[in-house]
Amino acid sequence: MEVSFQNLILGFATVLTPTNLLYALLGCLIGTMVGVLPGVGPLAGISMLLPTTFGLDATSAIILLAGIYYGAMYGGSTTSILMRIPGEAASVMTCIDGYAMARKGRAGPALAIAAIGSYAAGTLSVVGLMFLAPPLARFALGFGPPEYCSLLVCGLVVLSYMTGGSIVKNLSMITLGLMIGIIGIDQMSGYFRFSYGLVSLGDGVGVVPVAVGLFGISEILATAGSPDRREVINPRFRDLLPSKQELKDSIGPIGRGTVLGFLIGIIPGSAHIISTFVSYALERRMSKHPERFGEGAIEGVAGPESANNAASTGALVPLLALGVPTGPIPAVLLAALIVHGINPGPLFIKEQPVVFWGLIASMYLGNLVLLLLNLPLVSIFVNLLRVPYRILYPAILMFCVVGVYAVNSSMVDVGIMSVMGILGYLLRKMDFETAPLVLGVVLEPIIEYSFRQALAMSDGAYSIFVLRPISAFFLVVALVMILLGLKPLIKKTKDWRERLTEAERGA
Amino acid sequence: MTIDRLSGALLVLLGVFVVWERRVLPLGSSQHPGPGYAPLLLAILLIIFGAILIAGGKGSPPLRSISWPEAPHAAAILACCIFTTILMERIGYRLTIFIILGFLFGVMERMKIWLVFTLAIGFSLGSFWLFDSLLRVPLPRGGWNF
Repeated sequence: MEVSFQNLILGFATVLTPTNLLYALLGCLIGTMVGVLPGVGPLAGISMLLPTTFGLDATSAIILLAGIYYGAMYGGSTTSILMRIPGEAASVMTCIDGYAMARKGRAGPALAIAAIGSYAAGTLSVVGLMFLAPPLARFALGFGPPEYCSLLVCGLVVLSYMTGGSIVKNLSMITLGLMIGIIGIDQMSGYFRFSYGLVSLGDGVGVVPVAVGLFGISEILATAGSPDRREVINPRFRDLLPSKQELKDSIGPIGRGTVLGFLIGIIPGSAHIISTFVSYALERRMSKHPERFGEGAIEGVAGPESANNAASTGALVPLLALGVPTGPIPAVLLAALIVHGINPGPLFIKEQPVVFWGLIASMYLGNLVLLLLNLPLVSIFVNLLRVPYRILYPAILMFCVVGVYAVNSSMVDVGIMSVMGILGYLLRKMDFETAPLVLGVVLEPIIEYSFRQALAMSDGAYSIFVLRPISAFFLVVALVMILLGLKPLIKKTKDWRERLTEAERGA
Repeated sequence: MTIDRLSGALLVLLGVFVVWERRVLPLGSSQHPGPGYAPLLLAILLIIFGAILIAGGKGSPPLRSISWPEAPHAAAILACCIFTTILMERIGYRLTIFIILGFLFGVMERMKIWLVFTLAIGFSLGSFWLFDSLLRVPLPRGGWNF
């Protein structure tokens, strides 16, 4: 405890400089805009804005990017409540009761409760991150190559199960991602693999062009030309305050959403999306008046919004402690950290205490900034929503090009982004999820390296993966997930993942 | 033909292609896996997943159920991406962005000409100023140094 508080003071000493405070503020503002604007999800937003951090020192850069991350998570709720359009997938559940409240003239309280819930969940889950990440990192210091390889395989399989849709399709996307990750120079032998004479591919396919292509360009390809749906409800600032009863009704859902979201956030997959569905279902079940849900129940806004923000912080636990991203957004954050010379993993917290604790402190401040700034600025964000999409999508395309080009000053990366854009567009049409593909690309070098090292250690015996208890545990979890994923195929029944996918599409 | 069967067949084809292309990379042994070891394992996995999709794909929606209402816009955006990839380093960032935005605003969205010019010039010069001049992210200036 004492060590944590000393470190937290170190973190606040790092963040409480005018420059870093400014970056925390900027990150939250830009993040909220990214979350608000349709067509720019948090993933594409972070990827596009990564180059803007190149001139900054590592701590300031991470503070800015983290601000964008949780700002975007919060911003999604604004469009959900005011337009019934989720700014990002995790805000789907907020649409139901948030928009119903807005139709009844209660948009202000819905926005305020979403902000208060996000603040409480964000702050409380940072406490969880602060206490959970360091011991987890210490535990992971004992991992050898077999444990690491099995952990990553387990993570990918859990991701493919939790993402929803067909597990076979998700596993094939992971495999495709791993294959794309193979392109470039083999770190152990120095061979060029699948680069077809292109020297620029020597360093491999970067995660930024892949992520921007799959999530940014493919989104534009799929949505450009669609008619603008722009009925925006504009709340007045003086109407933002929720009533005493609404506040009272929200306390329980916020608390439950925070715990649920944080715990689900640690698990690989679409955790922040799943956590909102689970939270909504839980609140509805626990309510004495479940019939109010769908008609504007404040609990239906408070629970999912809190769960969403807590899950975003929960996802940082495995990323910072183990170096394992649990979804595409943490994967891009991982790439950003690597660009700034930081390698997350068990040694990260020990070797880079200033960055880690600075990030923790910035998250406390960032959540406060989001609460204090976003409610007064809601009218500005509403005006952003009035920008026609036919003006917006060419601008998004331009930012995608700049963001991708600037990482390596490489036109090959812009080409990769275009190819990934087409691939993502076609994969959407064919009902494939693209998140597992991004994770595959990011994790391939670590998986292959630890896999080959493990085999070298055991003199070629694959049994090393099952004879070491921790490794065997991860593989058993992976096997259970595969069997659970295959169950609906054999029994021809719908499991919760299929229902979740249908609900997401229906929103 | 169903969606799953077609996608499964494409995955199998890709797997076979990787197996074929991998032949130039040493496989090594299980004691010391070479650079071709992982690609081969992954290609086999991809073929297996593709085969499962083909085998179980009878009940999936037919290929013709996919609608393409956004196809003209998608093709135009794709053309802009290709144009950018080929020409941005030659003619410079500002000119490339001006051309693609002018095309999208003017031809695809049929906006008024003054608005097209205002937006295309504003976005191309503004973004260059923001990234290159202010944030020191070097953007290509092309053969004319513009």
